[in-house]
Amino acid sequence: MPDAANGRGSGQRQMSPEEKAAFEGRISELGERLDRVKAQRGADAEAELDAEMRGRGMAYGMRMAAELVGAVIVGGLIGIGLDWWLGTKPWLFLLFFVLGFAAGVLNVVRAYERMQKEIMARTGGKIGHSVPDED
Amino acid sequence: MPDPIHQFEIHPIVPINIFGWDVSFTNSSLFMLLAVLLTAGFFIVSMRTRSLVPTRLQSLAEVTYEFVAGMLRESTGHAGMQYFPLVFTLFVFIFVCNMMGMIPGFFTVTSHIVVTAALAALVFLTVLVVGFAKNGVRFLKLFVPEGVPIVILPLVVLIEVISFLSRPVSHSVRLFANMLAGHITLKVFGGFVVMLLGAGTFAALAPLPLLMAVALTALEVLVAFLQAYVFTMLTCMYLNDALHPGH
Repeated sequence: MPDAANGRGSGQRQMSPEEKAAFEGRISELGERLDRVKAQRGADAEAELDAEMRGRGMAYGMRMAAELVGAVIVGGLIGIGLDWWLGTKPWLFLLFFVLGFAAGVLNVVRAYERMQKEIMARTGGKIGHSVPDED
Repeated sequence: MPDPIHQFEIHPIVPINIFGWDVSFTNSSLFMLLAVLLTAGFFIVSMRTRSLVPTRLQSLAEVTYEFVAGMLRESTGHAGMQYFPLVFTLFVFIFVCNMMGMIPGFFTVTSHIVVTAALAALVFLTVLVVGFAKNGVRFLKLFVPEGVPIVILPLVVLIEVISFLSRPVSHSVRLFANMLAGHITLKVFGGFVVMLLGAGTFAALAPLPLLMAVALTALEVLVAFLQAYVFTMLTCMYLNDALHPGH
């Protein structure tokens, strides 16, 4: 028993101070490298999600523009059609153009509500960089 | 500079004329046919084994099925599964057309509004027919939101009707505009590379637009999928309105 302890002890004791310093240096260096790799990996994943969200953002932007413009065009066309039919140029066009705009805003609001739900479901409520809550 | 619009030109391959109507088999028809054949071929080959433990191809087909089925079930409930064939066909057709368009030299069918408008009109008419068939006059409740004072109700109903009628417009414009804009941008950046290479010392700058073109290609692949997804998602939502009007 004392022999074994001695053996191990001497094994450790044989590590001279310089060797020990070198060993610890290696360990801390390894730790640093690991941290770097981990940080890199985290950044990669974040950048990937970021790029994906940006691609989605562009798609969403196009969607909003189409929702708004589509309704204005349809409203205007209905107005022109009714004017042409009833001979009330240009009053119904003006009226339906404005109504079309209202419908467009309604479309955008509805699309936004759906979008919000979708994004919340996808990211678990975390969009972009998280900001700590005030409370 | 190469013309960025040239890629969207339609030219007849087999001219056909029926009673004065030009119904030629064009390059657009060719790529639609290719998309359909590719899709049908893929599903026939991948599902041939029908094993309990799927092969790689089979799981690809199953993932596609699960993806669309999940989307439809989520937005319309179980009642919507009746329209699964329509929704699945729309998704796969648009997705394959978009993706084929990403191959250089290929024609992008979905970059023409006549194609996307036809698809959107199909969805719109399906919603109308299904809505009236399932709910009768109650379908019109879609245009009458609850809790609106009677005084402004006519105005609100008018706005709701215009909003409803604008659906096929935005539905089709979105897909077509995305594909058109994406392909033009790609072509323009590709053109910059060629122009810079032929501009003496400025040729050193040529890698810059090339890098941009590479990045844009990646983005376009994402857009190609996303737009197919968005089109299908909206189809599901509109079907939901037809099945359950009033909320």
